[in-house]
Amino acid sequence: MTEILRVDQVTKTYGKRGEKQYQALKGINFAVNSGEFVAIMGASGSGKTTLLNILSTLDKPTTGHVFINQQDNSSLNANQLADFRSKQIGFIFQDFNLLENLTNRENIALPLTLQGVPASRIDPLVDRITSRLSITQIMNKYPAEVSGGQKQRVAAARALVHEPAILLADEPTGALDSKSARELLDTMSDLNINDSITTLMVTHDPLAASFASRILFIKDGKIGEQLLKQELPRREFYHQLIEHLGAEV
Amino acid sequence: MLWKLSLTGIKSRFKDYLILFSGLVVASMIFYMFLTIAINPSFISHDVSASTDYLNFTFAFGIVLLVLITFVYLINANSLLLSMRKHDYGMFMSLGAKSRRIGLLIFLETLITGTLATIAGIILGFGLTAIVSQLLITKLNLQITHFVVIYPQAIGWTLVFFIFMFFWGAIHNVRKLTHTPIISLLKEDQKPAKLGHHPVRLAVEAVFGLLLLGAGYYILGLPLGMFLLIIPGALITIVAGTYFIFNAMCISVINFLLKRKKFSYRGLRIFTLGQLKFRLHDLTKILTIISLLFALALGAITVGLNFTTLKDLANESIYYDNIVVSSSPAVKKEVAKLHVSSEQTYHYKESRKNLYFMRDELKKQPLKDKKAYLAGHEPRYKTVNLALSQLDKPDTHANNAFSSLLGSSKKIKMVSRSGWRSLSGKRHFLSLLSVKDFEQDYPAMLKIQQLQLKENPHYINQFNESKPVFYQLISNFSSGFEFMGFFLGLAFLTMLASTLMFKVLSGAARDQIRYQMLYQIGARAQVLRTSIKNELGILFLLPAVLGILDVLFGLKLFRILLPNPYHHLWIPFTIFIVLYIGYYAITIKLYQRIVLPEQEKAKEKKQALA
Repeated sequence: MTEILRVDQVTKTYGKRGEKQYQALKGINFAVNSGEFVAIMGASGSGKTTLLNILSTLDKPTTGHVFINQQDNSSLNANQLADFRSKQIGFIFQDFNLLENLTNRENIALPLTLQGVPASRIDPLVDRITSRLSITQIMNKYPAEVSGGQKQRVAAARALVHEPAILLADEPTGALDSKSARELLDTMSDLNINDSITTLMVTHDPLAASFASRILFIKDGKIGEQLLKQELPRREFYHQLIEHLGAEV
Repeated sequence: MLWKLSLTGIKSRFKDYLILFSGLVVASMIFYMFLTIAINPSFISHDVSASTDYLNFTFAFGIVLLVLITFVYLINANSLLLSMRKHDYGMFMSLGAKSRRIGLLIFLETLITGTLATIAGIILGFGLTAIVSQLLITKLNLQITHFVVIYPQAIGWTLVFFIFMFFWGAIHNVRKLTHTPIISLLKEDQKPAKLGHHPVRLAVEAVFGLLLLGAGYYILGLPLGMFLLIIPGALITIVAGTYFIFNAMCISVINFLLKRKKFSYRGLRIFTLGQLKFRLHDLTKILTIISLLFALALGAITVGLNFTTLKDLANESIYYDNIVVSSSPAVKKEVAKLHVSSEQTYHYKESRKNLYFMRDELKKQPLKDKKAYLAGHEPRYKTVNLALSQLDKPDTHANNAFSSLLGSSKKIKMVSRSGWRSLSGKRHFLSLLSVKDFEQDYPAMLKIQQLQLKENPHYINQFNESKPVFYQLISNFSSGFEFMGFFLGLAFLTMLASTLMFKVLSGAARDQIRYQMLYQIGARAQVLRTSIKNELGILFLLPAVLGILDVLFGLKLFRILLPNPYHHLWIPFTIFIVLYIGYYAITIKLYQRIVLPEQEKAKEKKQALA
């Protein structure tokens, strides 16, 4: 299996030298292989968001390196980073981050137009991912006209339409009701298993994390233990996770 | 405690407040600047020598439009002020603050913000009025005597209008906030924008808009005798037409472009078009007024500048630049200062009934005159020689022209040199001068005329016929119009551009999140910048295009005052468009500073430091 993401000794310190400093990440190391579904779990303030911002190239580590598809992010300039994000990374955010002045179809097409994909190829690509995510009937609506669950599916379609190397999801079920959350997680799991989409999800929800094949726990800026699903059914993996979390308390 | 919380809330949104406050200051500043001229009767009667009815009508029209735009702007500003505070007030109320106290807080906050902005605007208005008026008077070399910078009535009316508007706005805000459920106040920012456009309705509105605009332009071309019908007719049709064009036609065009995937699926074009669609929907009313103000501002500058053609015509219509009949030391001293290019001197003797000239002298230096003719609709002048044989024949053109140069009704007689010598009578001379640059020598030549009149009161006829005096008369008449045109043009321009600028900037905080999203999904900073330039460029361009069309058709109305209102049209258009582009550039800079992602701003700062 090829390595899609490698995080190597990443630290992040806030505050200037000579002032009071705060170290949000204290030497993070881990790797994600192609086709894996990894969840990073941690409480508020554990460093989850900081780590995700660094992985997504929106922020730079103070020390250490992040490799996506063997490419070291720290060697790229601003334009290369933007191109890198648009080609290699797909994002799903907690609050969808859809552009409400574009229709759902236009929202999904945006990463492709940004990459300069020829116009004639864009609609077929959009149609393929939207039928995969069962949202074809809402394509001409605006995000404000559809439900939260549908919005998150549109966001997922936008994240995947350009076939990124890795899908980064930041609390994707955070703003959804339990039914929609469950449906989305089923879809993400399905995409991971059947389409081999490499996924890294940051969450504090045990149910969401139980859909992953591996869970990394982050606490006080450090990755502690990890939990492997292996051949366990999801429900049992969930119970194992709950027990693990209970033992920590 | 509530006051303290309220102030903290304002502090946390200081940038938004600053934009809102600056916008209000500019609005009251321009309003004051306009009133200093529009409601100053002594300026109108002394410095602008034209039909007062006509001017009063023009100013009343200007005031109505300015009140209208200020009104729309203040309503917008007020709803912005309210939306900025809704969340805070909702929070105070959810913590148990009584709605009566919150009401008082909102009322005072709105009124205090408004009053402070108005006072600041008036004070800055003194400075702006002084600068603009001085600049115009000196640069355009105008004779303006009854214009005052600090005009109490203008201060009074500006205060009355603005404070009334804010008082009304404050009451409206209190009513609206205290009648809105707390949960809606808290979730104000999360409300989705509504955009319901039925394609058939859009198409009908678009066609209707075009027809109305066409009708308006047709009305502007009607015979000027129907003046009182033209203005209201054109105003109603053009305003309504412009409104429908912005509301329906532009949105239809955007929809059309969005459907042309080959066009829209490129870079950030879909985003830019989507943004524009929402903005146009939101800004229809304001863009309508802006396009009218654009037309008024550009029209005022064009007409104002066009009055200089009257001075040019005055200069061209008379051949000789100056008449000299006195050889007093004072006159001689002034004549010596002139840059004379040619001089024709004739000697004559005056009897009780006749003026005797030497034929030889007139033959050697033929008298010249200007003859008017029309080139198309434009009056032009060509130089002709006055026929020697007709100079002494009564009621011929040459004889009349010569008599007016002499300022005398006595008969002109031509005699031989020897015959002339033998004649008795008082000896005189008439010296006709041409100078290299009339404008340059004009003050000295006018002084020569005044000196000669002082020396001899009978000189009055020649004095009135002389070119410097005629030029002064036309210059006085056109100065008032020139000043007014430029002054109003600049006032309207500032108002319209700042309205557009502040309206765009006041929505920038909400746009910031969209640009952050685009940045996250991999849009290069340069692509974002281009998208901003295109989007705002179109917002600035649309009212400009309609405004320019309005001016081109509207100038027909000035046929009554000007020989050719379209003369040298490129000059005012260039001045105006350069200033307008300046506003566009400033808006882009400020907008980018607000909406571009923090990461990009940090990089920009670093580059600037390096």
